[in-house]
Amino acid sequence: MFVSERMSRNLITAGPEMTILEAKTLMSEKKIRHLPVIDQAGKLIGIVSDRDIRDAMPSILLPKEDYDRNLAKVMDFPVQDIMSKNPLAIYAYYTIQDSLLVMQKRKVGALPVIDEEGYLKGILSTRDLLRAFVNVMNIDEPGTLLCIIVTERQGQMKRIVDIITEEKISLGSVLVARVWDKEKRAVFPYLLTNNVAKVKQKLIDSGFILIDPMQWYLDQLPKRD
Amino acid sequence: MKRTGFAYDERFLLHKTGRYHPEASERLEAIVGWMKTSGMLGKLTPIEVTRANQRWIEAVHDIHYIMRFDEACSSGINEFEHPDNAICRDTCEAAFLAVGAVLNAIDAVMKGTVDNAFCAVRPPGHHAEVDRAMGFCYFNNVAIGARYLQKQHGIDRVGIIDFDVHHGNGTQHIFEHDPTVFYYSIHEHPSFAYPGTGREFETGLGEGEGFTVNSPVLPGRGDHDYKRLIMQDLVPAFKKFNPEFILVSAGFDAHESDMMSGTNLTTDGYDFISEVVVNLVNRCSGGRVVSVLEGGYNLDVLPMLVENHIRFLAELR
Repeated sequence: MFVSERMSRNLITAGPEMTILEAKTLMSEKKIRHLPVIDQAGKLIGIVSDRDIRDAMPSILLPKEDYDRNLAKVMDFPVQDIMSKNPLAIYAYYTIQDSLLVMQKRKVGALPVIDEEGYLKGILSTRDLLRAFVNVMNIDEPGTLLCIIVTERQGQMKRIVDIITEEKISLGSVLVARVWDKEKRAVFPYLLTNNVAKVKQKLIDSGFILIDPMQWYLDQLPKRD
Repeated sequence: MKRTGFAYDERFLLHKTGRYHPEASERLEAIVGWMKTSGMLGKLTPIEVTRANQRWIEAVHDIHYIMRFDEACSSGINEFEHPDNAICRDTCEAAFLAVGAVLNAIDAVMKGTVDNAFCAVRPPGHHAEVDRAMGFCYFNNVAIGARYLQKQHGIDRVGIIDFDVHHGNGTQHIFEHDPTVFYYSIHEHPSFAYPGTGREFETGLGEGEGFTVNSPVLPGRGDHDYKRLIMQDLVPAFKKFNPEFILVSAGFDAHESDMMSGTNLTTDGYDFISEVVVNLVNRCSGGRVVSVLEGGYNLDVLPMLVENHIRFLAELR
């Protein structure tokens, strides 16, 4: 779960003098939305997003000749004029969880990855992050999601996992969520099997409350007074 | 009354899945036992079950996969590439016979010796992919049947109706590029049920765009949503596609007393599905339909549900 395993290493970068038009072409060819800008030594100095490019472009609502005239005026500017300088960057030893938190809190769509001297080593985009979480949750494997309501007490998770293990079912992932009731939690084991009838019965027999995930969803909706 | 064929063979029971596996031979024993007692079995035309020629299985499955499966069974190990897929030495033979049952039933309908047929087979098939066993399924019986109809009997347009509570990922993937086989499935929503495919926007790919339709049902919604979705998604699509032959993946695990799912379909709800299927078959495919058992794990209701379904095929309601 480290950034080093999930970041894109196949780096597509720009130098500060690359023109806006070149950068625009490069980004649409390579289907990327963030272009790190590096100096001659390879140190990160900025990042250009597709939004930075779009802001620099003339409006498409202009008549064609005005558009072309304005485009000619701006397209030879270097990317260093529109890039975000000293962008937020992370190190390869960051965890994926931490990167998720950084992206969410700082509202960025990609994080350049640098080493301790500031050299660019990779980039982690929201797409890389989505892929990583799909992978760790194992949800691209066929399986069945259960929803178990448990009282918040030590050892509950162990009991659930023990029952699943006794049934020789491999566990794709487990998510835990808050529920309506303060002392309760909803546990969502993702089981890599079709064969859930018996494990469901065993959980019920052991005193767990199984609900339809749909019921959980409905109960999460804001209640009308 | 229609002449309805019934394909069953005791050799399907040789596929042993171990003590705790829900897809057990007791399922078929319960069905056949019940129908003997009720007298239903005597009203049906038995269809002889013979081993399918492997070339028809190869019309759908990768030959290396077939060999891998055969070897795993003869080696005596008790699972095939995933713990769900329990096997024994006789599993491969049972799987060949299950396909053979479907092909013989198709022949009987095409020859006119019966009007339609039900195949009480195991192992089931609709999760089986071209080169992967999944969810208790090894050979995709219905998909092989569809290819057989096209290649052996010159049928152009085959319609498949899959009402097992789980999405038939195998059948969908086999035909999703193909505009000559229409796949319709109604099942518990993939967010809440195995195998996690069959969303409403999976509608076929490339040339096959528009020839796959999925109706996911949310847990707990039961008959009401089944009826609404079938009338809204299945009926108009099949009237338009106008299949010359219809194959049914008949799973009875959506029932409210089956622990495999949470859709809460009632016995009446199943009757509704059977009635719509029969109406579509009479309207589009000249009455030609072969229905093939997939899931259904509660032995207290499965035999009754199967018999009810057959009653609609045989017009004994």
